[in-house]
Amino acid sequence: MKRRRMNQVPLFSSAGELANMLVTSNLIEAAWAKIPELQRGQSALPSSVQTMVDHPTPKCTIVVFAPSPDSTQDALSQGGDLVPYPKFDFLCTKGCPSVSINRAALTLFTPLYDHLSGLKDELNKREGQLIITGQSLGGSIASLFTLFLLSSMDKESKCRPICITFGSPLIGNFGLQHSHWNSFFLHLVSDKDPLPTLFLPSGRSAPTSSHSQATAYKPFGTYLLCSELGCACFDDPDFIFKFLTVASSEVAGGLQVVVDYGEILRNLKYRAICKGPRLVGERLTDPFSAGIVMELKTIGIDPAKHNIDIGRMEKDARDLTWKTNKASEAKKLNDRKINMVWLEWYRKKAEDVKKDYYDCFRNERFNIEAKIQWHMEDLTTYWEDMVAEAERKPQKEGASFRTGWLQAGTTYRRMVEPLDIAVFYKDGGRDYINSERSQHYKLLEQWYEEAAKPPTSEELDSKKQKVSVLLTEDSCFWAHVEEAILSCKSLTNANSTPELRESSWNNLVKFGEYVMEQIENYAVSPEIFLKDSCFMTWWGEYKVYIASPSNPCSLRFIQFIDFMKTGRYGVYGRSEVP
Amino acid sequence: MGETVGNLIGLNDEVIHPAATLAVEAHNSPSKQFLVKKIKIRHDLSSFVVFAFSGSMLPDDWFGEPPFGKTKIDTGKFPSLTSLNDGGDAVVNGSFLRRFNGVLDKLSHAKELKEAIEKKRQVVFSGYSSAGPIAILATLYFLENPTLSPRCLTFGSPLLGDRIFGHVLRREGWSDYFTHFVMKYDIIPRIMLSPSTEHEQILNYFKSKFDRKNINPAPPSGFYLTVMGNASSVASYEACHLMGCRNPSLDIIKSFIELSPYRPSGTYVFCTGNGNLVVVKDPNAVLQILIHCAELGESHTAEVEKRSLDEHLAYLSELNECLGMQAVVSLDGGPATATLNDLGLSPQAMLCLQAAEEFKNRRSRNLEKIRKYLEKIEVKLEMMRKYKENARISRLGYYDSFKLQNEDDDFHANVSRLELAGMWDEIKEMLKEFELPDDFEKKREIIDLGTKYRRLVEPLDIANFYRHSKDKETGAYVIGGGPRPKRYRFIQRWLEHDEKEEFGSRSESLFWADVEQLGIDIKKKGYVQEIEERIQQVERNLIAWIGDRSLDDDVLLENSTFVKWWRDLPPQHKPKSDRIEKLIGEKEKAAGV
Repeated sequence: MKRRRMNQVPLFSSAGELANMLVTSNLIEAAWAKIPELQRGQSALPSSVQTMVDHPTPKCTIVVFAPSPDSTQDALSQGGDLVPYPKFDFLCTKGCPSVSINRAALTLFTPLYDHLSGLKDELNKREGQLIITGQSLGGSIASLFTLFLLSSMDKESKCRPICITFGSPLIGNFGLQHSHWNSFFLHLVSDKDPLPTLFLPSGRSAPTSSHSQATAYKPFGTYLLCSELGCACFDDPDFIFKFLTVASSEVAGGLQVVVDYGEILRNLKYRAICKGPRLVGERLTDPFSAGIVMELKTIGIDPAKHNIDIGRMEKDARDLTWKTNKASEAKKLNDRKINMVWLEWYRKKAEDVKKDYYDCFRNERFNIEAKIQWHMEDLTTYWEDMVAEAERKPQKEGASFRTGWLQAGTTYRRMVEPLDIAVFYKDGGRDYINSERSQHYKLLEQWYEEAAKPPTSEELDSKKQKVSVLLTEDSCFWAHVEEAILSCKSLTNANSTPELRESSWNNLVKFGEYVMEQIENYAVSPEIFLKDSCFMTWWGEYKVYIASPSNPCSLRFIQFIDFMKTGRYGVYGRSEVP
Repeated sequence: MGETVGNLIGLNDEVIHPAATLAVEAHNSPSKQFLVKKIKIRHDLSSFVVFAFSGSMLPDDWFGEPPFGKTKIDTGKFPSLTSLNDGGDAVVNGSFLRRFNGVLDKLSHAKELKEAIEKKRQVVFSGYSSAGPIAILATLYFLENPTLSPRCLTFGSPLLGDRIFGHVLRREGWSDYFTHFVMKYDIIPRIMLSPSTEHEQILNYFKSKFDRKNINPAPPSGFYLTVMGNASSVASYEACHLMGCRNPSLDIIKSFIELSPYRPSGTYVFCTGNGNLVVVKDPNAVLQILIHCAELGESHTAEVEKRSLDEHLAYLSELNECLGMQAVVSLDGGPATATLNDLGLSPQAMLCLQAAEEFKNRRSRNLEKIRKYLEKIEVKLEMMRKYKENARISRLGYYDSFKLQNEDDDFHANVSRLELAGMWDEIKEMLKEFELPDDFEKKREIIDLGTKYRRLVEPLDIANFYRHSKDKETGAYVIGGGPRPKRYRFIQRWLEHDEKEEFGSRSESLFWADVEQLGIDIKKKGYVQEIEERIQQVERNLIAWIGDRSLDDDVLLENSTFVKWWRDLPPQHKPKSDRIEKLIGEKEKAAGV
């Protein structure tokens, strides 16, 4: 319903305006300024890559990389294949389990690694703007260095980097589409520049690179694509790939040509205050397609000839507009809070009648379970999305993204998963943990375990004081209980095979050890010991079984049985107990 | 078509030209700070008093510290010029503000002004070129102090204020009092969109022209690309915003470039140069036209550059030609291709105007959405009111009942509290992003509903805060920028602004937080001087707020946290003991009956 309303709203493409804003500001000029100078001063020096750190103002640092022409040619002749580079595995995502980098870029980057490591630490401490830049392979080094820097930056860092490259080839197989890091990269590419298209399938790439490898390259960051007529900004990797492919089939000139981006910038600046091209035959009734067609034509792309799906671009833009709205974001967060309040209330209602909420929910004691389930579904949708988003981010960034909400996610997991388990076993399910448990619960638990430190003795002590109000830590606790009930049934069932009895017995032994461990760590809520809870029901049956003379097995888990039989559980969680 | 400028801006056409003539004359009379002229309209015998200010082409009088010479406005003189949410005070050009301050004393004592006030004559403040901003500030100054409601006319004026400045003008409903005439290529109305690097050579050129010492000074050159390039950067940035740009790099890029803070405000009248006028009120559309209509077309750059200087000197002749004529087009209601041809806008410029129009529509749609919320809020508040009524019966009061959270009713009130918070927070976010009409925070029904919400529900937020002892994590509920939800701070400011009260004066919804925090602090510090003062303040507030009914008397219920706490205070610390005992007594009597 909401979506349909959104669809009626006119949409615009701002690719041209963003590009105009960039070229009319002095940012790109500032980044370019030192490159020709460094390139010129280059030939006399022996080292293959020159690095320059400049401070045009006290609050701004510019780092320029310029490889010598010889080393550039050398590196390029090594070919455009992708080489695995584990040092950059912090960029791994679910979709890209191992990172590979272009061989030419690595040839120049690897020898600099130690030097850059020092530079990185130094820059990390600086405050203010940091522009990292370079042309062609110099830009590739700039990009790699920026990634390297981003990977080591913490939240407190006051250094604000941006990487601006000029005519650089594609770098690697990793994408950054779902990463905040994507926004730190700006790549200028002229349609007259052969270098950026070098490693593409249709490019005149060096013979070593195979076709399949070339298509594994993924552009990242924002591309400022320019032609004689003007420029436009794009950040959709597929479209950028398309543009580069089109350009590579049309660009002329050998690799020796070094494109003068200074001249290109001057022209673009002038173009920015000229009345743009007349729009022939297009009407303004659909502003998005009118805009995008103009922008594409400006950079030399003909939507019909080059097979560009404007409808899809519009749909993507619309989805993004819908997704990134701050006001509705705030609303969403608040709605989740309301969902949790309902669940807390349910738990409190159970407590008021001295029952545990797992049992209440499983037996639908309050006739509001359907409503509660509705809130659970809202929460699950939300958290599944959050987990999926975290998974799409590069490992390192994903981890820091998670720290902000892992606590809330854990509370959610401990609150909601038991109720999912209740529904599952109520409907006759078996073996929840291995057959049914949702991936997002597993990941939330895994991330929590990774981040958690073993509790200190004080923490354990305060946990002991508060255990009555805490949620049971293992969100699968009740699944273990349900399994124990089933095992108990198998044991007492006259028709069970000896093998089944044996394995059931073993399960129960393990279960007893498991519960005792939870108790010792104050990791379970005392509500499990409430009269008529599933757990106590199980204990009732089990107690009878182990006491019966027919029980052929030995009792190896004395401690747990002792704890239960002596009734010590009755005082578990009461703070006055010594 | 079929309307004159006067019709569209609501001012007699016969006033405009004399005001322009006086403005040009005054601008070139540096010995006098302003000129005054009375204008009688023949057919209805109404009369106007025009004040026109003198100008200056000295660089110091145009820009202070590079790049943009901006300064915060003096909210002592201009109390309204501040954002009612997080936007801060309006920013203006410091040099223009300084020049206005230099004129103010003489202006406010001018006998012509006093006479105009007495005889209820319409006052018009007028300014040409650098005197334009002075006229704007003079108009604003008297609008703040409503003894008269002046009008403002400027001709070729540079920009004066930032986005907040324009927002406040529209919020207060003052925008229509300001009309700015701008020639199609005149460089001066665009100059402030660029850093001050090129300003001096341009000003020097005009100075020679105005001083008439040198009849044909050599025109400066090369400035057009720089000034318009920077102006274009601003226009493109705003266009990105209007078009809903979602490029992830936009924010990062913005943090690397410093754009001019200045934006147009008021009504703009563009002179197309061929006898036609285009009237535009939407500030976003004004900005886009300001830049796009001066873009280079087929003509040579040097030609346009020269024209950008010449046109600043051509207002009188241009107005002579087109005033009184009916070749006027209003842009309200969206861009119309045919009517904008006179401005020679490119298709890209038309898209920008369409985006500006769509932005306006989006704000109206948001308002519609919020109107639906308001109904929901009313319903929820009614539920809350009933909850509060029921809680009285237990002689505990809803504050304490909520804090205990023993009953289902308390739980449902908590859900309502969160639902209300969600709606108000969404409104808050929209305001922060300028996604609601500018006058939203001035709307009577919004302020009233907000105040009702704040008084009824904020105590529950406070109860929740102290129930969970959150002060241990974040500090007291009420500290500047502290844990108090911003929605309440904003809603409180709407009321204070509306009543022209000081910020922080209507904090009756914070009564419980003061009481709770005092209880905690007394345990920590004992009865030190500071605590004594705070107790006295709580007592004074209680008496005043119960008196004006902004605080409900259920705080006086026998079992409430307040009464229990206050009764426990040693008598020597309760100077207003008798008054308050009396209030509590009355309350109990009423409850007993």
